[in-house]
Amino acid sequence: MKKFVNDPRNFVPEMLTGIALANPDTLTYVPDYNLIMRADAPRQDKVSIIQGSGSGHEPAHVMVVGKGMLDGACPGDVFAAPPMEYVLETAKLLRSDKGVLLLVNNYTGDKMAFEMAQELAEAEGMNVKTLFINDDVAVQDSTWTVGRRGVAGNFFVMKAVGAAAEEGAELDEIVRIGEKVNSVTRTMGIALTPCTPPAKGSPLFELGDDEMEVGVGIHGEPGRRRAKLVSADEIVDELLGAVVPDLPYESGDEVALMINGLGGTPISELYILYGIAHRKLEEKGIKVWRSYVGEYCTSLDMAGASLTLVKMDDEIARLLEAPAEIAIRVF
Amino acid sequence: MTQERVEYVMRTITDQCIENERYFSDLDSVAGDGDFGYSLARGFENVRDQWDGFDRADAGTFLQKVAVTMSGRIGGTSGPIWGTAVLRAAGVVKGKHDVSGDDVVAMLRAAVEGIKARGGADLGDKTLIDALVPMTDAIERELAAGSSPADVARAAATAARTAADATKELQARRGRAAYTGERSIGSVDPGATAVAVLAEKIAEGW
Repeated sequence: MKKFVNDPRNFVPEMLTGIALANPDTLTYVPDYNLIMRADAPRQDKVSIIQGSGSGHEPAHVMVVGKGMLDGACPGDVFAAPPMEYVLETAKLLRSDKGVLLLVNNYTGDKMAFEMAQELAEAEGMNVKTLFINDDVAVQDSTWTVGRRGVAGNFFVMKAVGAAAEEGAELDEIVRIGEKVNSVTRTMGIALTPCTPPAKGSPLFELGDDEMEVGVGIHGEPGRRRAKLVSADEIVDELLGAVVPDLPYESGDEVALMINGLGGTPISELYILYGIAHRKLEEKGIKVWRSYVGEYCTSLDMAGASLTLVKMDDEIARLLEAPAEIAIRVF
Repeated sequence: MTQERVEYVMRTITDQCIENERYFSDLDSVAGDGDFGYSLARGFENVRDQWDGFDRADAGTFLQKVAVTMSGRIGGTSGPIWGTAVLRAAGVVKGKHDVSGDDVVAMLRAAVEGIKARGGADLGDKTLIDALVPMTDAIERELAAGSSPADVARAAATAARTAADATKELQARRGRAAYTGERSIGSVDPGATAVAVLAEKIAEGW
């Protein structure tokens, strides 16, 4: 393993410390619960939006905390759901008169921790709703889920509900919006290499030099099949072939197109994939409304990418275009 | 039974889950991912460490504190599942100091419903439910027959053990062990076996 790391057990706290120090005016770090929260949260005139998930997916989700997106994120350890107490205490710290929305990527550990935290928060008189994200078309059930996994498409849900909350929308309305965005979002990924969790110190799975994992999960879980590596054109065909018919996205539709890097793939290659996907979609009569190219939800140092489509309507477009101020700015 | 009895039961569960860490993990390694004993032990160590400080205003409050402490800091699925079970049982005796036999049955039924809701499992899915339900049925029968509390505890232990051993024949459909499919047939379910171990210890010291 070659990583910038001290004691692997401190990997997450040291990362969170760095994020907090890099954003002193906008973010607050609460070490007890791995919590990164908006410095101005909670605000009683808006619903608080909280994500948990595991670490190792940065910038998701600790770096999308900020105005117009999340109010707080309390990740667990690398690839591990947050303990229930993190979620409960985060919900209490971000308690708002307008309510709290918990966003959960659909994995069994996350689901249980968040549902139990919701039960306890409600017992304390809080108004809490939970919204599950499950955009991955690759497999129906996986190693860590009942049902589809939540992967990079969660960005669009976070962006839309974050914008709605910033506008002052009520909790039920925000839940409706989040469910709608999730229902028109589909993703599939491909891994070219495995990833190495710092505490494990060795690759999470084996993948031959000439192999790729089609439909990989963001923790390296198996996807649809192991295959020989093929050209970028053929890979985009494979991804679109899985994603497009699933909703389905049809001629005349407008879509947001995301090419998300899984952590170990250079930007150049992501744009190669993007260009091919853009052209092939337009050939199908599907208009690309807006591009999203870069790292949104990674899997540590895994080389690979995922492709996400979101079917647009006026409401979703307006919420995705609304301004947001988060820590992944680079200028 | 008195609130002291409730504390005795909870303390026995706490100590046994810590003491059996290795045994429970070994059971889980056969078809699961081997973290069951570890998760339970870490959760109940927190309970043991904070034991003297728990709010004991009534039996329900006490059990609720135990539930939150147990499940608060541990990852995986065992924390939320066991924590929810204790939490739902706590709800039944909120405000009570004396817990009747009927209360015990209602607590166990509530715990089972909580586990079903949290884990999406049902009877026959090869989980701890497969020991808890027959054990609760046995308690209900013994109470109806007018047995002494110690006899009820013994009957509960016997029923839990018999049911836990019978999980050997079942195929896992929930939890990590579900992914091993038919390979899970032939080994007992760790959760159901843990329930049997706990019920036996509780009966032994009654």
